[in-house]
Amino acid sequence: MRTLAHLTSLLRNLFRRKQSDQDLDEEVRSYVALLTEEKIAAGMSREQAGRQAKFELGGIERIKEQVRDIRAGARLDALIQDLRYAIRMLRKGPAFTVTAVLTLALGIGANTAIFTLLNGIMLRALPVRDPQQLVLLQWHARKAPAFDEYSSFNDCATSGPGDENPWGCSFSSPMFNTIHQQTSVFDGTLAFAGPLPLTVSGNGSASMASGEIVSGDYFNVLGVRAVLGRTIGPADDAVTAASVVVLRYGYWQEAFGGSPSAIGRTIRLNGVPFAIVGVADPGFISLTPGKTQDMWLTRSIFPRVGFREGWSRVEDAGNAWLAVVARLKPGISAAQAQAAVGLLFRNELGHGSTPLVDPTSDPSIILLPAQSGLTGERRGYEKSLRALMIAVCIILLATCANVAGLLLARSTTRRREIAVRLALGAPRMRVARQLLTESILLSVLGGLVGVLVAFWGVHAITVFVSSDSLQRFNFALTPDASVLTFTAAVSIVCGILFGLTPALAGTRIGLAPTLKENAAGDDNPSARTPGFSLSSALVVVQIALAVVILTGAGLLIRTLQNLKNINPGFDSRNILLFSLDPALTGYETAQIQNLYRELQSQFAALPGVISASYSSSALLAGDLSNGKITIEGQPDPQEPYDVDQLSIAPSFFDTMRIPIIAGRVFNASEAVGNSESATSPQLDAGKPWPPPIPAPLLVVINDAFVRRYFSKRSPLGMHLNRGDTTQSKTGTTDGKPRSRYWEIVGVVADAKYNELRREIRPTVYLPINGGGANFEVRTTVDPTLVIPAIGAILARTDANLPLSRIRTESQEISHDLFQERLIARLSSFFGLLALLLACVGVYGLLSYDVARRTREFGIRTALGADANAVLSLVIRRGVVLSVTGTIIGGASAVAGTRYLESLLYGVHAGDASTLAAVAALLTIVVLAACYIPARRATRVDPMIALRHE
Amino acid sequence: MPPDPTNLLQGTLDMMILKSLALTEMHGLGIARRIEQITKGTFQVKPGSLFPSLHRMEQEGWLTGTWGESENNRRAKYYKLTAAGRRQLETETKRWGRISLAIARALETS
Repeated sequence: MRTLAHLTSLLRNLFRRKQSDQDLDEEVRSYVALLTEEKIAAGMSREQAGRQAKFELGGIERIKEQVRDIRAGARLDALIQDLRYAIRMLRKGPAFTVTAVLTLALGIGANTAIFTLLNGIMLRALPVRDPQQLVLLQWHARKAPAFDEYSSFNDCATSGPGDENPWGCSFSSPMFNTIHQQTSVFDGTLAFAGPLPLTVSGNGSASMASGEIVSGDYFNVLGVRAVLGRTIGPADDAVTAASVVVLRYGYWQEAFGGSPSAIGRTIRLNGVPFAIVGVADPGFISLTPGKTQDMWLTRSIFPRVGFREGWSRVEDAGNAWLAVVARLKPGISAAQAQAAVGLLFRNELGHGSTPLVDPTSDPSIILLPAQSGLTGERRGYEKSLRALMIAVCIILLATCANVAGLLLARSTTRRREIAVRLALGAPRMRVARQLLTESILLSVLGGLVGVLVAFWGVHAITVFVSSDSLQRFNFALTPDASVLTFTAAVSIVCGILFGLTPALAGTRIGLAPTLKENAAGDDNPSARTPGFSLSSALVVVQIALAVVILTGAGLLIRTLQNLKNINPGFDSRNILLFSLDPALTGYETAQIQNLYRELQSQFAALPGVISASYSSSALLAGDLSNGKITIEGQPDPQEPYDVDQLSIAPSFFDTMRIPIIAGRVFNASEAVGNSESATSPQLDAGKPWPPPIPAPLLVVINDAFVRRYFSKRSPLGMHLNRGDTTQSKTGTTDGKPRSRYWEIVGVVADAKYNELRREIRPTVYLPINGGGANFEVRTTVDPTLVIPAIGAILARTDANLPLSRIRTESQEISHDLFQERLIARLSSFFGLLALLLACVGVYGLLSYDVARRTREFGIRTALGADANAVLSLVIRRGVVLSVTGTIIGGASAVAGTRYLESLLYGVHAGDASTLAAVAALLTIVVLAACYIPARRATRVDPMIALRHE
Repeated sequence: MPPDPTNLLQGTLDMMILKSLALTEMHGLGIARRIEQITKGTFQVKPGSLFPSLHRMEQEGWLTGTWGESENNRRAKYYKLTAAGRRQLETETKRWGRISLAIARALETS
C-alpha cells in the first residue's frame, strides 16, 4: 500500500511534473489567500493583509523548492539535472571529450574483444536444450582399471600415464547400456566417440570426411532437431538397423551444395552404402567445444564400415571408447545420481566374467557439469587466453589512469567553478556526484564506441585465426548478451574508478584562495601541490603498466623468434605433404606396401620433383608415437627407456635431408615382410597392436639416442628389445613384454618430431609397413604446383582412394606456431597501446604543467635563464616520471611475467635483456613526448608572460 | 536524505498534523490554526515546514489531498487521514507517550 502510494507519486512526479508543479503553486496561493482573508477579518486593510500574509509565508518559490526536494523523484530529478549538466560540460570541451572517449573506447574495446574470445571459447553454453542439466560421467580409481583397450578423443581431461589416482571419461559399450537402463536418476543418457576418418565416395570424386559415432538417443537427449529430414533415433542404434547417416549443416552445404535432394541419397562410407536421412540444425556443430565432424552414425552400425581390426570388438566390456553424457532428472541432485551410477560402475567392472578392477582401488564415478567437463579444443587456448585477458585488464587500468589524469587536470581548471558552487551552498557530496556523473557518462560513451572497436577487433582476430589453413577454428565469436553485459559493467566500473579520485580531489579545495585567484594564472603554489602529486602518480602508474605489458609482449615475441629460429634438423622448404589411408578403402597390408612403393616412384618421376617418400606421420604435424625399449647387453634399467618411434620408407632421410651420421638406412627389400608398424598417430590410440613376429628388424636411431644410451660406444649392430608400449595394452601377455629384436644399422642427425617446442628425444626409425601414411614430396618449384599432377597419378591408380590433408611443410610449421603468433601479435599490439597511453599521459601532464607555469618560465627567462635551462627543467620532470614508472613497472613485470613462464620458449620471465630493451624503448618514447611541451616552455616570451598579470 | 538533526521535531510536527486531522479533513491553513489552538499557541506552524510535511506524508500514503471549497468559497486543498495515517498516528502517540514519560522521569530524578 505504502510502496504503491510511493510509486504512484513517483510516477506522477516524473510524468506529470508540470501538473503537480501547478498543483503545488495553486495550493500555496490558496493558502496565502486564506491567510489574507483571515487578516482582513481581524481588521487589517486588504493591502496590508496581503503584504503581511506574503511576509509570513516567506517566499512562494522557496517553499515550492522545499516540497520538491522531499518528493520521491527528487533524486532522479537531480540525476537528470546532473546528466544534462554533464552533457553541457562535455560539449564545452570537445577536445577533452573526444580524447577521453577514444582512450576509453580503446581500453574497453580491447577488453570486450578479448572477452568475446574468452566467452566464445571457454564460457559459451553448449548449443543444446537446457545444457545446465547435462552431466559428463568421469571415472576415478586408485589404480587404472585393466581395460584391454582404451580410447579417448580429446573430449575431456584424462589422467596421464604417471598420474596417481587415474581418471578418465571413456566407458565400454556394455557399461553404457547398463547406465542407459538406469532411468531413476537420469532423464536420458547418450554416448559418443570420435570423430573418426571416413572415405566418402558416390558423391563426386572420393574424399575424406569425419564421422562421430553416437548412441541412438544422442539427438533426442540433447534436444537437437534436424533442419531437414530427421535425426538419428533409438531405432537406428540396433545391429539389424539400416545404415543411415545424418550430416552436419556445414558439410551438407559444402559437399551437397545445400541441396534438399541430398536427403534419401546413398553415399559410400569406406565403401559401404549409407542412406542420408537428415541434416542437423545449423546451430549444432558438436557437443564438445571446438571439435567438429561432418556426419553422425550410430554405434551399432559403424562396425560395418570396416574400420581397423580393433573396432570390430566395440561391444567388449574391456574396450572403453565411449564418452557418456546424461541429463539429470529434475529434483535429483548430482550426488544422488553419482552414487547410483558409481554402484553400477563398481559392479560392472568388479563382478564381470573377468574383473577389470580391484575393488580395493575404490572405483567411483563423478558427474561433472557437461559445460565445464567437456573441454575439447578449449584446453589448448586456455593459457593464452588467460594471459591476454590479464593484458587487457592492465590496459583498462592504464586507460583509467590516463582518463583520471585528464579529468584531474580539467577539474583543476574548473576549480573556480566548483568553488563558486560550494560557496553558494552546494553540499560537497552533491558536487562530487556531479563530477562522478560526468565521468560515468564519459565511460558509457567510451563503452559504446568500444563495442565498435571490439567488433573490429574480433573481426581482425577471426580473419587472422582463419588464415591458419590447416585447422578450422570451430568457435563462434559473436558478441552475445553476456559480452554486452560485461562491457556495460566494465564501462561503469571504469567510470567510477577513474572518476572517483578527481571527484574527491576536485571538491577538496580551499574556497577563499581559489576564489581569490585571478582567472588566467592559477599558479598558487599551495593549491598546486596536491594536484601535482596525484597526477604525477597517475602518469607513473601508466608508465609502470606499459612496462609490464611491453615486457610480457617482449617475452612472447622473443619466444616466437626463438621458435622460428629453431633448426628442425631437416630442410622444411619445398616439401608437399599429404595423407593416404588405403586400409579404409579395403586394401590389405601387403597391397598397401606395393601401392605406396608404386606411388612413390611415380611421384618422384614428376617434373619439378626431386624425391618422394612416406612415413607413418609427417614431421611437425603434431602426431607422435612412442614406446618402451630396453637395450640388449646393458643391465636392465628399473623402467624400460621411453623413446620416440616413427615408421618411415627408406628414402625418408634423403627426402627430408636429414644427414646420415653412421652406418646406413635399411633398404626396401629389408623393410618387406615385417608387419612391425610401430607407430600410429595418437588420435587412433584405440587401434590394436598387429600381431608381432619374432624376427629381427633393422632400424635407424638418432644422435640423441646415441648420446643418451651409447656413450662413446658404437651403437651399430646393437639389439633393442621392445618393452611395453603406451600405445596398446594388448601387446603384453601374462604381464610380460614379448621379445622383439631390433637391430641398429644406422645413425642419423637429430630432427624435430611432432612439434618445434619439444626437445629432440631418443628416436627409433622403423621401416613402415602398411597402415595409413603421409607422403613427403620434395620439389624444386613451389610445392603447391605439383598438386594437380599428384592428384592425376592417384586418380589413375585408384579413383576411390582419397587424398587428405594436402599442405606444405612450411604451412605445417606455421600452424605449429600459430598460437604463438596470435598471442605475440595481440600482446605487442596491446604493448604499443599501453605505450601510446603512457605517452599521452606524460604529454598531457607536462603540457598542462608548462601552460600553468608560463609566468614562472617568463620570469626565469627574464632573469637570464637560457633555453637549455628551461628545457631541462621540463624534461627533468619527464625523466623523473619515466624512471620512477620504469622501476616500479620493471619490478612488477619480473613478478608478473612469471605467470607467462609456461608460454615461453628459450627465454625466462624477468629476462634482463628484454627488460632493458623495454626500458630503453620507453625512455626514448617518453622523452620524445616530453620534448614538445618542453620546447613550448622555451618559447615563452617573458614580456607577454609578465604582461599577462 | 532526511534532515537528521530535526528528526524529533519533524516527527512531532507530523504527529500533530495527523492528530489535527483525526476528526475532520482540513486545508493547510486550517491545520496550522488547529495546531496553534490545541497547543494554546505554543506551536506556531510556519508554511515552510507545513507544506513539505504535508507532501511527504501524502507520499507516504498517510494523507490524501482533494480540492474543495472553503467556507468563504475559495478553492483549497483539503487533507484527510487514510487508514495507514490512523495507524501511524497511533504508533506516533504511543512513541511520544514513552518518550515524554522517560523525559519526565529523567527530569524528576535529577
